[in-house]
Amino acid sequence: MMKLMKTRVKGRILCALAAVSLTYGGLVQADEWPEDNIRLVVPYSAGGTTDLLSRKMADLLQKELTTVVVENRPGAGSTIATAQLARGGRGSDHMLLMASPGHTIGASIYPSLRYDPLEDFAFVRNMINIPNVMVVPSSSPYTTVAEFIEAARTQEFSFSSPGIGSSIHMSGELFKSMTDSNLVHVPFRGSGEALPALLSGDVDVAFENMPTVYPHIKSGKLRALAVTSPTESEFLPGVPTLQEAGKEYGLETYETYAWFGFIAHKSFPAEAMVKLQAALDNVMASEEFKKFLPQFGAEAGTVVGEDFREFVQKDLEKWSDVAEKANLKR
Amino acid sequence: METSEKQFVEASEAHYGRWNPNSVLGGVFSILAVSFLFYVIPRYIEMPFSMQHPLLSPQFLPQLAGWLVFVLSALLMVDGLINPPKRGEPEELRRGVPVMRQVLMLAAGIVYAFFFEQLGAIGSGIFACVLLFLASGLRSIWLYALTIIFPVVVTLLFIYLLNVPLPVGTLWESFFQI
Amino acid sequence: MENFSEVMALFLSVDNFLAIAVGVIVGVVVGAIPGLTATMAVALALPFTFSMEPVTAILLLVGIYKGGMYGGSITAILIRTPGSPASACTLLDGYPMAQQGKAKKALKTALYSSVVADMISNVALIFFASYLAKIALNFGPPEYFWLICFSLTIIVSVSGDSVIKGLIGASLGIIVSTVGLDAVYGTQRLTFDDYNLMDRVSFIPLLIGLFAIPEVIEFYTSKVAPHIRTAVSGASLTWKEFKGLLKTIVRGSLIGVIIGAIPGTGATSAAFISYSEAKRTSPRKANFGKGEIEGVAAAESGNNGVAGATLIPLLSLGIPGDVITAIILGAFMIHGLTPGPVLFQENLTLVYALFCGIMVSSFVLVFVGNAAIRYFSIIADIPKTILLPIVLMFCIYGAYAVNNSTFDIGLMLVFGIMGFIFNRTGIAAAPFLIGFILGPMFEDNLRRTILISKGDLSIFVRGPITWVFILLTVASLLFAIRRYWMSRKEAMA
Repeated sequence: MMKLMKTRVKGRILCALAAVSLTYGGLVQADEWPEDNIRLVVPYSAGGTTDLLSRKMADLLQKELTTVVVENRPGAGSTIATAQLARGGRGSDHMLLMASPGHTIGASIYPSLRYDPLEDFAFVRNMINIPNVMVVPSSSPYTTVAEFIEAARTQEFSFSSPGIGSSIHMSGELFKSMTDSNLVHVPFRGSGEALPALLSGDVDVAFENMPTVYPHIKSGKLRALAVTSPTESEFLPGVPTLQEAGKEYGLETYETYAWFGFIAHKSFPAEAMVKLQAALDNVMASEEFKKFLPQFGAEAGTVVGEDFREFVQKDLEKWSDVAEKANLKR
Repeated sequence: METSEKQFVEASEAHYGRWNPNSVLGGVFSILAVSFLFYVIPRYIEMPFSMQHPLLSPQFLPQLAGWLVFVLSALLMVDGLINPPKRGEPEELRRGVPVMRQVLMLAAGIVYAFFFEQLGAIGSGIFACVLLFLASGLRSIWLYALTIIFPVVVTLLFIYLLNVPLPVGTLWESFFQI
Repeated sequence: MENFSEVMALFLSVDNFLAIAVGVIVGVVVGAIPGLTATMAVALALPFTFSMEPVTAILLLVGIYKGGMYGGSITAILIRTPGSPASACTLLDGYPMAQQGKAKKALKTALYSSVVADMISNVALIFFASYLAKIALNFGPPEYFWLICFSLTIIVSVSGDSVIKGLIGASLGIIVSTVGLDAVYGTQRLTFDDYNLMDRVSFIPLLIGLFAIPEVIEFYTSKVAPHIRTAVSGASLTWKEFKGLLKTIVRGSLIGVIIGAIPGTGATSAAFISYSEAKRTSPRKANFGKGEIEGVAAAESGNNGVAGATLIPLLSLGIPGDVITAIILGAFMIHGLTPGPVLFQENLTLVYALFCGIMVSSFVLVFVGNAAIRYFSIIADIPKTILLPIVLMFCIYGAYAVNNSTFDIGLMLVFGIMGFIFNRTGIAAAPFLIGFILGPMFEDNLRRTILISKGDLSIFVRGPITWVFILLTVASLLFAIRRYWMSRKEAMA
């Protein structure tokens, strides 16, 4: 730990005094990369899931490469930090951003974005995916997705989310538009506020992140009807996917994730990218990473580089469509 | 009744006249409230395509608060006209303040507000502290050393100990980078 | 208690005590720096806990949390710069006390009120967690709505000399709080198409701007007053004074415990409700806001009563009541633990070891707090000509650090100018702050209630909790009106 601190201090003094950059400055030699600390920008405030995962990933990555400094830059969904990364400039070859559905949803609902969510970035790799779970309170009479949809076509139901534009909210909107059901969105501020209303039955259904609702499913306060991922989750054996449970109701292509992955500025040096991806491969192969995943009901990310870009593109298309249908597009 | 009648009309040592802070404040705020209600709200609060209930309107709370301001400031104005408030005492200290002192403070504020990123945390900190020390007319050279020590120490503390990044200053960066 | 020895084996380690001590120290120091909040400190400390034992890790974070809750009051009292939102209430009387040369007394009052409240809150956590957790679950949107209505009535008691001006301030605070994307429809509200305003007005810049900056402006628009050496080393808090405050402190703590047990309400409301309650029942009503020691005690006990209590919904239900507990929840999960009923069944030993540590942290706070007072109170002896430029610098750095954004610096200065105008025109800043905090909660819960009821408004009176808060609201309003008439009559006579 002490050594880490020292290198961090050293690296920063170089930067702060700026004088040294006379000798060090100029073009980055790729075989020297990383020649400075890596800055990991978290587009949300400290304390959220994205922040927590980022800090853990930073911790693991710096064992492989160099000191990783986490910076929180919240605002307007995640779009302020993302716009900053897109602008590039000095130091952008050592800057990463933890992208999440906020990247694609933000691009779908915020007005006049100052960047292109695909073209302006280099896509490093997808690290972690967390499925959402469709849950109802245990007092709810519905035990299957089919029963629920049947009922939701004749009466109005409410679904909670930690806020407008969250992947949890959008999962619900996607469900609503694909099944033509009567769902009313009830926004809360954070899952901490949303959960009690769900547990007590004040809201009828939610499409919450796995780690938030998992303990309550285990203790029997919530009933899991389905998972939103295309394959069943090993954490909830026997709980079907929405694709299969709702295929007669138009859900055969339903798929949502809370995905997390690193993106960088589009001019990120190719050699550095190779090094970074190799380091991340090591991170993902480590015991610590594998031990970490189940604690969040998470799965290891699969797509790398251009495949990751494609993955994001599909996500973007999906959310733009939902945003349009739900009148969220500004 | 007669005494209050007198206060109403004439300003005295202890009381303000009709143009007292309360009636002016009330007047200004009621004008602001009206322009907020009838210009700002309709123009800058977008309405959704459909609403389940009128109470859900994004304009509801701003309108409620706007009307509250209007009614209350009208009350304040009337109250100020009928019962002019007593004069406070601290006003003595506020008279005859050197213009330079206020200008230097303003300058310090401008340095922070507009040049923080360019000058960096240390640069703008030193600059603004010097301006404010000058504003108070501090003479001792040794005190001015503080204006360098504090910004430097605090910035380094933020960056290294607390891991909170503060800007280095784009001006210096481009200067040294060339 | 057959596994008493197991608990002790888990708890009694050097690491744990070290973690508590380090946590409290870091918390106090960071909490005292304007703009740096306990939340930030907890988030920054989180990576360091990855490699620790679970108990040690969580005690470190809890230590920071508790230290930060107290630390915020130090600068609030000394330089009118609340280090945390909750300590905005402490400065109402703490800062005037410091100006009267009673800084040490105010700081000690704040410390001991904090510690007592902390202990009461811990006891509530340990013995009544399951009971209080039930109340939390019965709090749906309509219950919150009435709780917020009740909380709004405290505006009257923090309005200073003029209730009308206080209410104007509160309404302005509400208007400012509605800036941002609409929570239900996502439409733009008063954002003027500026990205920086879409996530609402940042809280910390507003807080610092409103309270600290006007002091700076005021100083430079007045003649230089000769520096009065206040000698902080002066009078401390006597045992007799403390005894006189105990009732207020206990009441504040209980208010804090109840508010803290309900997720999402927060320490700021608790502090203000406790303050308002103390003022209502105090024989020295008129002195509140002018340096009343009881005001400091009430604010700090309400504020710190929350700290232990927010752990109640976290540990017993797995529901984080605020951002800090959300991070602590994350720490639990990283160590493979899931707070909630399951934790009590499967890891009871660990829960008790945590309880021990949390109790110890209260005692540590006494020592750390006293040391902090000794060093921080030097601030009160520095002439303002030197102190204020440095305070301003801290405020600027702090405002920037919250979101790494220069926009927030501008925002803070704008609110500073507004606070200055408020000062000059006799509008109290506290009602503005309350309006800003409670406005969105009022709106959110009103809208949520309507949304979940599907249009049936009888939901607003659906159960005993709603009725309790309706009655409290009405009573509080009647009380305020009666007092207003009495004071008018006195003023007229």
